[in-house]
Amino acid sequence: MRGTGSQRTDLVVINESPAVSQAGRARHAISASTRYIQEVIGAIRPSQGRRGGPELITETVLSVRMDSVSKVYGFLWALRDVRLEIGAGEWVGLLGANGAGKTTLLRLLAALAYPTAGAVELFGQNLPYGNSPLRRSIGFMASGAHLYDSLTVSENLRFFVSLYRNDVGADERTTVLDEVGLHAKRDEYVSALSLGMRCRLAIAKWRLVRPRLLLVDEPYGSLDPSGVDVLNRFLESTCAAGGIVVLATHDVPRLLERCTRAVMLDQGRIVFDESRRDPWDSFHRAFDALQSQDSGGPR
Amino acid sequence: MTGVLRQIYWLLWKDLLLEARRRDNLLSMFFFGLSLLFLFSFAFEISSENVSRMAPGLLWLAFMFSGTLALNQLFQGDRENDCLDALLLAPLDRGAYYLAKVFFNFSLMFLLELCILPLFGVLFRLDFWHLLPNVLLYTLLGTLGFSVVGVLFAAVTLRARARALLLPVLLFPLMIPVILGTVRTLQIILGAGAAAELAPWFRLLVGFDLIFITAGFLLLEWVLDG
Repeated sequence: MRGTGSQRTDLVVINESPAVSQAGRARHAISASTRYIQEVIGAIRPSQGRRGGPELITETVLSVRMDSVSKVYGFLWALRDVRLEIGAGEWVGLLGANGAGKTTLLRLLAALAYPTAGAVELFGQNLPYGNSPLRRSIGFMASGAHLYDSLTVSENLRFFVSLYRNDVGADERTTVLDEVGLHAKRDEYVSALSLGMRCRLAIAKWRLVRPRLLLVDEPYGSLDPSGVDVLNRFLESTCAAGGIVVLATHDVPRLLERCTRAVMLDQGRIVFDESRRDPWDSFHRAFDALQSQDSGGPR
Repeated sequence: MTGVLRQIYWLLWKDLLLEARRRDNLLSMFFFGLSLLFLFSFAFEISSENVSRMAPGLLWLAFMFSGTLALNQLFQGDRENDCLDALLLAPLDRGAYYLAKVFFNFSLMFLLELCILPLFGVLFRLDFWHLLPNVLLYTLLGTLGFSVVGVLFAAVTLRARARALLLPVLLFPLMIPVILGTVRTLQIILGAGAAAELAPWFRLLVGFDLIFITAGFLLLEWVLDG
């Protein structure tokens, strides 16, 4: 179990040798730049084969980095000293009780809020402020929200996608609406849709936008089983394409089926951060401990 | 720049579509403005001698109060379902968002004024139809001035708890040049002054519009994302 404030420091875990440790230090010094990291990885790779040098065990391209991030609302600490690094292709399950700081963390990653202390880097750049091209890479799927009630399904889709891309035709929109099961409802007002249908529309929107970082806030509560399948397929395809998914939910069993890593928050602090393994006993122990704390049980 | 224009087009398309379906803004503005003009026509003793001096001021007070009603509702559609977050999340030029809101508010106001002006003529027994192009020109400049400042301050008070109260308190003092310019020009057009006096007021209104439209375009990013 990775404790509070722990860091995933290695992007590339390499058997120690002087040359490699020097490269490792260099990477740590400017790990902010994903491009640089990729260059370093690229520089190491050919040398392995030719010189029988350091053995590359794993590699993860760092894409999201939260460094000692705290967020305060008035007198309330929503997040405290959060350190988190996420690599490309990861599906991070964000867990925690109500008020643990999950949505705040998602809003910080979406650049909809800014940290009181600490720094957030996305894809090697500082958190975008105002209009930034980096925003094209960020998607935020909030259950039932971010849709205009008085616009129809197809109008909502057309409007929001037009803010990101201008090359999406009617055929592509129709295909995506068909895939999420909303084609028959395309001319209905969003106000007439159920929460699950709205969630499907949000899936359609982000399928067309194709962000590299997709933040999802509590989607499972409103989706029926086929909707969950549609969502999971979309999230898996995002990760398979090298994107990142950070999904906050209370539906622990459903999340654990799919996520590649679980991060648990408690009162704004990360209390568990571990990649998927089987059996995942450490996760269940941590989760049970947290639940017993919440219910006033033994600490 | 084409990207900004495309974004303005889509934002304006969205706002006009929402307004066309709800119609609550335009209707409430119209009936409020009309009620004010009725009240003014009864409350003030306006004779044929002083009508060209008094009526323009009363007309612009009605426009301003109705316009404030519209400004209070300007971001309401985007606040519902956290759509504003969705807009801020997107790579949307904040200046484009500002300009789209200005054009939208300006369109609403100008439509209201086109409806109110004939009723104003009837209520105050003013025959200004032959002067209509001039009246519309200065009304247009004044309305643009109202919109460029009003949208900026509507955005400033967007997250304030008492924004309906705060907006006029912040806005009205800044509207003094617009009120002075439009009321004075309308008085001159209606015959209470020499035509040569129009030019400085024209320059004032154009200058005001240009300064605040530039300020709003540049500042909205800090207002919304700050």
